Amino acid sequence: MSDRHGGAVELVIPAQLEFLDLVDNVVEAVNELMQFDEDARTAVSISVVEAGTNAIQHGCRRNGSGRIHLRFEVGEEALTVVVHDPGAGFDLARVPDPTSPENLLRERGRGIFIMRQMMDEVDFSFDQGTTVRLVKRRR
Amino acid sequence: MKISRADKDGIVVLQVSGKLMGGPDADAFDQQLKQILGEGGRKILVDLGDVTWVNSTGLGILIAGHAQVGRAGGEMKLCKVSRRVESILMVTRLNMIFESYADESQALASF
Repeated sequence: MSDRHGGAVELVIPAQLEFLDLVDNVVEAVNELMQFDEDARTAVSISVVEAGTNAIQHGCRRNGSGRIHLRFEVGEEALTVVVHDPGAGFDLARVPDPTSPENLLRERGRGIFIMRQMMDEVDFSFDQGTTVRLVKRRR
Repeated sequence: MKISRADKDGIVVLQVSGKLMGGPDADAFDQQLKQILGEGGRKILVDLGDVTWVNSTGLGILIAGHAQVGRAGGEMKLCKVSRRVESILMVTRLNMIFESYADESQALASF
């Protein structure tokens, strides 16, 4: 990527949790390009790892031969991260609030909530797989 | 994830390093706790100082461990939580569940 404004990085990883460390390293480099402050860097890093975790665990059902596609679009105003997996998706309306008292001690079900709390925009689309689009704006 | 164990004044300190992200990590952590509880240990401090990151599945490991120790009548606390891990605990409000300390000596004194 030669231009901070308008460049993009694409990454394809096997659907294995071990590869999230590689993703995290790429996020760190992209955060540097965006010149995000510490809070934004933390938010993006956590959110992209969550999106990758969901894609591996739900989209590919931990089938390590599956592939996860990630695209990092470095813009002047914002960073957009698109994560795509081959899974059929889910009903967003049925995703429970993990911070409600009855759910607080559940071991799973926090990924989408975390992304929504930490990013400026989080959109899902379910067409030929599941795609989540995460946006973090430069302040 | 790697786990090393030290016993300090009746408190078992589990030093976790690397990534806490589910999969085999859950079994490794569960086995450690089972062994400690089986030996009669009831005070467990989890040192997260060398954990580079945790995802929501990794949080599930800590929640399961906290519940497992609690059911046995013990306490599991955290120390040296990084900024990144603290952020995820705050956002998910799990900071209300986990007693957490900045350093090991404070944490050991709290039991």
